[in-house]
Amino acid sequence: MTDESTSHRCRVCGRSFPTERLLVLHRGVRHPGELADEELAAYREAYADEQSRLRSFRLRALGVLVLLYFGFLFLFALFAS
Amino acid sequence: MSRRLHRLAFAVVALSLLATGTALASNAAVGLSDASRDALDVPRWLYVATGGAAIGASALLASFVTDRRLVYAVHDWRRTVVGGAVAPLRALLALAGLLALGVVVLRGFTGPAIPTVNAAVLLVFVGGRAGVTMVAALVGNPWPALNPWRAVASAVPSGVRTYPDRLARWPAVAGILALVWLETTTSATDRPASLAALVLGYSVLTTLGAVVFGPDDWFANADPVSVFLRAYGRVAPLAWEDGRLTLRLPGMRLVEAYGTDEPHDSDVALAVALVWELTFSGFVTTTVGGDAVRAAVGVGLPPLAVYALLFLGGFAAFLGAYWGAARVATSRVPTARSAPALARRFGPSLFAIAAGYHLAHYLAFFVSLSPSLADVLTSPLSPPANPLVLTLPAWVGALGIASILLGHVLAVWVTHSTAYELFPSRLQAIRVQYPFVAVMVGYTAASLWLVSLPTAPPPFL
Repeated sequence: MTDESTSHRCRVCGRSFPTERLLVLHRGVRHPGELADEELAAYREAYADEQSRLRSFRLRALGVLVLLYFGFLFLFALFAS
Repeated sequence: MSRRLHRLAFAVVALSLLATGTALASNAAVGLSDASRDALDVPRWLYVATGGAAIGASALLASFVTDRRLVYAVHDWRRTVVGGAVAPLRALLALAGLLALGVVVLRGFTGPAIPTVNAAVLLVFVGGRAGVTMVAALVGNPWPALNPWRAVASAVPSGVRTYPDRLARWPAVAGILALVWLETTTSATDRPASLAALVLGYSVLTTLGAVVFGPDDWFANADPVSVFLRAYGRVAPLAWEDGRLTLRLPGMRLVEAYGTDEPHDSDVALAVALVWELTFSGFVTTTVGGDAVRAAVGVGLPPLAVYALLFLGGFAAFLGAYWGAARVATSRVPTARSAPALARRFGPSLFAIAAGYHLAHYLAFFVSLSPSLADVLTSPLSPPANPLVLTLPAWVGALGIASILLGHVLAVWVTHSTAYELFPSRLQAIRVQYPFVAVMVGYTAASLWLVSLPTAPPPFL
């Protein structure tokens, strides 16, 4: 926790966030009914941005799963008799 | 029961878990189960590693679910089973609890001295420790209705003092550790008279506590047995919510805070204590554990000190690992939440692990002694004429391994759901889980390793 964590405070519930982006996402997730137009636009943008980063995360996760799967397949082939 | 068969069955279960979600996998899993007919022997390290990997893989699979609405829908799904009050049933259960307590004390002192036919030992360990706990975790917690001490304390005026809130569940954590210690190191498990004396002493203490602090506060916070069963009950699908018996998906009550109270540090200690007590009793009853204790005693330490050191040291290590995970989580993810606050919210997922682990430890014990328990329940005052101990097929052992894995997979989902409850950013919610999942992989590996070892009675006790 740093000092700047108090600088992004939600005006509805008072929770504070370390970055502006997290506050934008928080507003969209927790208080969707109380967003001003520009806040809504900011949320949509942050959401779409995260969506693309999630896509690359999923690819990497899938890679790890495939590695795990084949890694263990080979281990079983070699060591289980 | 063959350990080899155990591990073999496990390999199939674990591989099919790893395979979830990939169509490619099915061929290989089928191939392996074909091979298994010619007694595939899996080395122990590979079996442990596969178990750990299965948990890691299920966490990765869970992280693919990034749709908040789906996570919330799974969490919130509920159906009302019984809408009204069931006072007559409660009274009947309370009566059954009181009768059982009477039988335990009476038959403990007057019954046969052989533990496997004595009603006191069978009721406490097979019926209570194994049976009621399983019902609490798999169906719903019956203890508030059964609890004989609550029945007594509710019948008299109580609540002279208010329960100090700052103690939270600490007295229960200490009590659970103390009870497990007594169970492991004293003759309570095989001398019915000692057990009856212990139960009498416990009854006096807990009834007194309930009368002084009021039964509701006492049994929710301080009474070890009630807090223990309530914790397992939070994993179960059935529970009373707002006066209605409600069905939820297993483990989903772990995502919320503890009842109406704020989660507390003692709840984290409680969750770790439940996992640790099973690990400890698992460890000391294996030949490897026995050898380790013998080696330490050989150096010149008194046996009880070795056990105490192992018991408390291991608990501290498990607890430290969890707090450490919370600290790593807060340092990796930008958040205004403190590490203890994270540990308190993620801690309850460990109850699901404890439930799976409890099944693995006690299912075979419970089923094999259940005929004797049934005898004792139907004629409590005479020892069973023909005590029957069932010999179990090998797949019951595999069921134990499957329940360890399922408990962990459930804990992974609870962690995922909790992270989505806490964090506005979905990537943040995924990243914050890694340290907790790493600790879970460690716990799984440890428990699978213990389950695979040959057992022996603990030395020097």
